Amino acid sequence: MRPDFYVLSWNDLLVSLLFIAFSLFLIKKWKLGLENTLLIGTLRTFVQLTLMGYVLTWFFDQQHWAFMLMLLFIMIVIASYEGTRRQKNEIPHFFPAMLVALLSSAILILGTILLFILDVEPWFSPYAAIPIGGMIIGNGLNSTALTANRFVGELKHREKEIETLLALGATPKLAVYDSMKASIHAALIPNINAMMTVGLVQLPGVMTGQILAGIDPIIAVRYQIMIMYMWFTTATLANMIMLAIVYRQYFTSKLQLRRELLREKKA
Amino acid sequence: MSYIISFCLCAIYNWPMEKDMLFQFEDVHLRVDDKHILQGLNFNISKGEFVAVIGASGAGKSSLLRMFNALTSPSGGNITFRGIEIDSDIQALRKNVGVLFQNPVVFDGSVRENLLIAGRWDQTISQTLDHEILTALDQVGLVNIKLTHHARDLSGGEQQRLALARTLLNHPQVLLLDEPTSNLDPKLSREIMDQIEELRKALNLTVIAVSHDHMLMRRYAKRVIILSHGEIIGDGDFKTLDKSHAFEDAGLLKNGVNDAT
Repeated sequence: MRPDFYVLSWNDLLVSLLFIAFSLFLIKKWKLGLENTLLIGTLRTFVQLTLMGYVLTWFFDQQHWAFMLMLLFIMIVIASYEGTRRQKNEIPHFFPAMLVALLSSAILILGTILLFILDVEPWFSPYAAIPIGGMIIGNGLNSTALTANRFVGELKHREKEIETLLALGATPKLAVYDSMKASIHAALIPNINAMMTVGLVQLPGVMTGQILAGIDPIIAVRYQIMIMYMWFTTATLANMIMLAIVYRQYFTSKLQLRRELLREKKA
Repeated sequence: MSYIISFCLCAIYNWPMEKDMLFQFEDVHLRVDDKHILQGLNFNISKGEFVAVIGASGAGKSSLLRMFNALTSPSGGNITFRGIEIDSDIQALRKNVGVLFQNPVVFDGSVRENLLIAGRWDQTISQTLDHEILTALDQVGLVNIKLTHHARDLSGGEQQRLALARTLLNHPQVLLLDEPTSNLDPKLSREIMDQIEELRKALNLTVIAVSHDHMLMRRYAKRVIILSHGEIIGDGDFKTLDKSHAFEDAGLLKNGVNDAT
């Protein structure tokens, strides 16, 4: 009974334009000067997502493991580049650090989900690999990009503290331990908070989408639980791998803090 | 035979013996972004000396001090510690060469946690007993302080003493002081320097102190190295150098106030 009932047609979508029309009316009334931007945004949402739909349909028709791996790799490369772009400070070798962090977490977590949790047949089935892979990479990107920014902030803030520890005989890893801890905490606490309140305050997007598409809520909930666990593990793993590579860039082989990197401003 | 002769010569002229040599700087340079911070430094420091490194701000004093515990490496030249390349075992070097920074770093936590911070990586420190901690606190003049007291609640002078006690728990042979009293009032500065001088004698420490306050330093240091624009323009005892105008050349007034800023 359920599925057909909720299928959106192009005509239905036209009706949803009324939302935009209503917003436009309010914006004009308040003279906010956002009309043009909103119109461009509306158009771009439509064009980009429609194109994406066709691209995804084409991707879903490709039944070859090499194609799927290539696609995931390209997604990871783009995410690593985006992560590098989001840094306020120039972090040496940040692109390869992101690449290794995202690649390892994608292999481990996506691999486990496809092979052992969902038992997808064949394992490279694009219906599972693309959306779940996308979520892992996207979440890994957001989390590591924030953590790296925070980590460099901590290094700047704790420069004297780090040098004091080095001067007492600490290794670089121990000297930056508190900085790493603070930045990983900052990255993981929102994830833990989300796990605490999920379902109480709002229903997560994936679950809402599945329910709207006619999936039994009990099944949709199981997916959501798996996704929450997956998100947390991705963030933990990707951040730790990224930081393990990044912190080393801030020290010389003679266990000295490269203070010049903390002064440098990104051009 | 040569050893006996050198021993006799050293004994007669009161020169430090080769085996007492701690640091040896040979044509040491430091360049940062094409800027010459230190140039052509040649000197030795022997065991038990109290050496003051004096100069106006920007003379390169702090950069020089950072070389003694390899927090900075020279761009050219050679530094040895006890006859071995200074960077051959940096962690061991840093345990041997303690430093007291201008603004001491006090970590968030109790007095005990601050003192035993090196216990994170050093088992001998993590196993330090309370009475050893109290001895270290006593040595730096911190008495009547609870080990559970929050370290950041201590006064500036107490924090400086706490940082000194923390360094002493590593049992260093050398103590580096980077303008250790510049943020303290003259009375407190003198008290802390007196304490350090006492420690130097009791523990047979070598002290290398960087300061722009040569009036304070001449009370303690037998030897002074005067730096100006990254070069040594005087190395000897205060009395001899007073006659040479080296202090004035370095931009320092006779009353000990730095006039460079």
